[in-house]
Amino acid sequence: MNNTFGTVYSNPSYILIAIGIFFLLFFPLITISEFLFFEPFIAFSIYPETILSFLLIVILSFFSALAVSMNIYRVKLIKKTKKIGSSIIGTIIGASAGACSCGPIAFSIITTFGTAGSIASSFLSVYEIPIRLTSIGILGIVIFVTTKSLSRECKINP
Amino acid sequence: MANPKKIAVGVVAVILVAAVTISFSSYMSDFDNVQRSSQDEGKTITLSDIPVLGSQTATVTIIEIGDYQCPACKLWFDNTRQDIIENYIETGKANLVFIDMPFIGADSISAAEATYCANDQGMYWEYHASLYQLQQHENDGWANIDRLTAIAFNLGLETEQFSECMNSKKYFSQISFTKQKASTDFEANSTPTFIIVNTSGTAERIVGPHPYSTFEKALDSLL
Repeated sequence: MNNTFGTVYSNPSYILIAIGIFFLLFFPLITISEFLFFEPFIAFSIYPETILSFLLIVILSFFSALAVSMNIYRVKLIKKTKKIGSSIIGTIIGASAGACSCGPIAFSIITTFGTAGSIASSFLSVYEIPIRLTSIGILGIVIFVTTKSLSRECKINP
Repeated sequence: MANPKKIAVGVVAVILVAAVTISFSSYMSDFDNVQRSSQDEGKTITLSDIPVLGSQTATVTIIEIGDYQCPACKLWFDNTRQDIIENYIETGKANLVFIDMPFIGADSISAAEATYCANDQGMYWEYHASLYQLQQHENDGWANIDRLTAIAFNLGLETEQFSECMNSKKYFSQISFTKQKASTDFEANSTPTFIIVNTSGTAERIVGPHPYSTFEKALDSLL
């Protein structure tokens, strides 16, 4: 497994892709989840009740960065795109959770869809942690399968 | 022969449109009820009916727009509000008003009404604090009528009077009025939203459960 990570990330462009994906996901997620504020002053706040939620965002962004960058490497190597779809699904599931039920996104959903929107928004907020854990689980499986597949395919096609 | 895929897409589209229409009309019916109720009572409701925490003559007013079922409002209540009370409200520099914008669910409206029923017995802010202290998940029944009455009982309110107030929907118009004001006049589209305004009319807008440092900067710049 270490060998596979070494092979992929020995190329600096994949490190850059992974860092790019991490921040591309991390900053919007911490903004939507109201950890980072831009107005009227830039402010960052984590309260004791939200530490777990913040850590899950960090892990989700990290796993997404690994899964997507490794799959880009795999696509370039063997021209198969199947697992990149799974990593994107995992990322979307994780990103959809935790948008606060009283934030602007939820407000738009509730005012547009009424009761149905309220139920959907409450569900995403109440089950934020299980949804993010599921998403991290999906990404973990994608990383594991990709690593296995890369080590096998690299042996066949060095 | 018709393509089954197209038929399926058509059926899904019709169901979606119907769902959106039904949801939207049920949501809008709340506003219809509000207008009817206001007309029936025939009294003028103004924002001056809203209780104020702190000195009436303070230089700065913090307007908090919130929903009692909103988790972000509770975060602010638990982590920031007390410091503002100690440093700005108890010192007479600022006062605080809470404008209800109950949109998360039906219990949000009941909870908001309950604070005004508590206000009838002089316990608005105590009831307001209890709601945030006891807040649980959105729409899971923690703010249903029975629980709201139990909160009133625990605070030592006269429960018969409180129940009568709740059952008669005495403050439904008041809450609907503040909800409309919050979204139209204050242009709030999420909770908590804060408008901090001083006596000369200069205002600062803060959206979300910002840390104390943000409020400190905003308040100091307006004092």
